[in-house]
Parts: sequence; C-alpha cells; structure tokens
Amino acid sequence: MVSDTDVQQLIYRTTVEQGRPPRSTDVAARLGIDAAAAIDAFKRLNSRRLLALAPESGEIVMAPPFSAVPTPFVVTAGWQSYFANCVWDSFGIAAALHQDTDVETSCACCGEAMTLRVRGGSPEPTPGIAHFAVPAAHWWDDITYT
Amino acid sequence: MLLFRSEEHVDRWCARRGLPKRPLVSLDQLWELAKAWYANRLTPEARRPMGAEIRAIFDGLGLTDPFWHI
Repeated sequence: MVSDTDVQQLIYRTTVEQGRPPRSTDVAARLGIDAAAAIDAFKRLNSRRLLALAPESGEIVMAPPFSAVPTPFVVTAGWQSYFANCVWDSFGIAAALHQDTDVETSCACCGEAMTLRVRGGSPEPTPGIAHFAVPAAHWWDDITYT
Repeated sequence: MLLFRSEEHVDRWCARRGLPKRPLVSLDQLWELAKAWYANRLTPEARRPMGAEIRAIFDGLGLTDPFWHI
C-alpha cells in the first residue's frame, strides 16, 4: 500500500536529484501505481497545501519551495540548480536542503541582476527587500500569483 | 513575493502598476520565514505551518500589521 507520505517523499527525492518535481507518470512508475492514483495523491497533498497543481492536468506546478516550471528565481546548490516559486521560496530551498546556495534573480522594478547567497545557515548581508503584494489571508486563493 | 533593490524601487513598482504598497520584509526576516516553513519539508514529517503557528511565527518576527492576519 502506497501512502501519501511515500508519494510526497518520492516527489521531493526526485526533485532534489533532478532539479524539478516529477510528473504523475514518473511517480506512478517509481511506486508501482497507476498515474490516476498518483494524481489522486497529488490532490490530497494539495488539500494540505503541500503541492500546487495545474487545474486541468492535475500535474505538479509547485512542490514548495520548488517550482516545476521556469521562474526568475534560479537557486544553485552544489552541482544542481532549481527554480524557486518566489523570493521567499528561494531562501526556502536553502532551508530545506540545509546547504549553501546562490540565488540568481533580478530586481522586480528595474531588472538589475541580484544574487542572494546563503552560507553556513545564514544569508550573506546584501542590499534588498521583499514586497508581498497579496495579504496573508489570501495567499492560497491563487498561490501561483502570490 | 518579489525582490527589490531598495524601498525606493518598491515605491516605483507600485506606482507604475497602481498597486498599494504593502509592508516590507527584510532579507533577515525572510530567511527566518523560510526556515520556519521549509526546514523540515524534505522529511517524512513535512507539514506546512497552519493557523496559530503561523500567527506566532509572524508575531515573533514583528510582522504584526493586519496584512499578516490569517
């Protein structure tokens, strides 16, 4: 019997190894279940706000802090790189991996390149500030916009 | 949740889009939020903070504006 925790663990293990969250067919093949069962597990994990899914296909769009699609937040840890969903999740990848990371991104206003480095469990001092456009109570109304 | 070089750049960005300026978050506060949300995310016990936990995290970081109420 494959549990939701098994599915979640495989999603994150695959993401760490390959840089992106897997598709339902990959999860199904690795766990010996059918793709529909994988999608059902994705939906249950989504209801716990552990995944965000594409509305029609049910495939993973976000396995926070990781993104399944390219974003302006590229996080490098060792030899692997990842896309983060936002600036919070950029630091979130460092926190989840417990590794030193570099975040390559840009100022949302002027587009100038910015690099955020995490070393030894803390961010290196650098100019920069985060702005949240959506109030906290509404973050999951449309998490891909938030 | 976007990153800006400075508060002045936030002001310009909000003005260009006609969006209200919201409370700002320093990179140190953001790092603490990232740890609170994601430090255990790769473990079998992974869970997202909810309800009163979230409020306690925000309060601990001085994020007390109604914007942060859930």
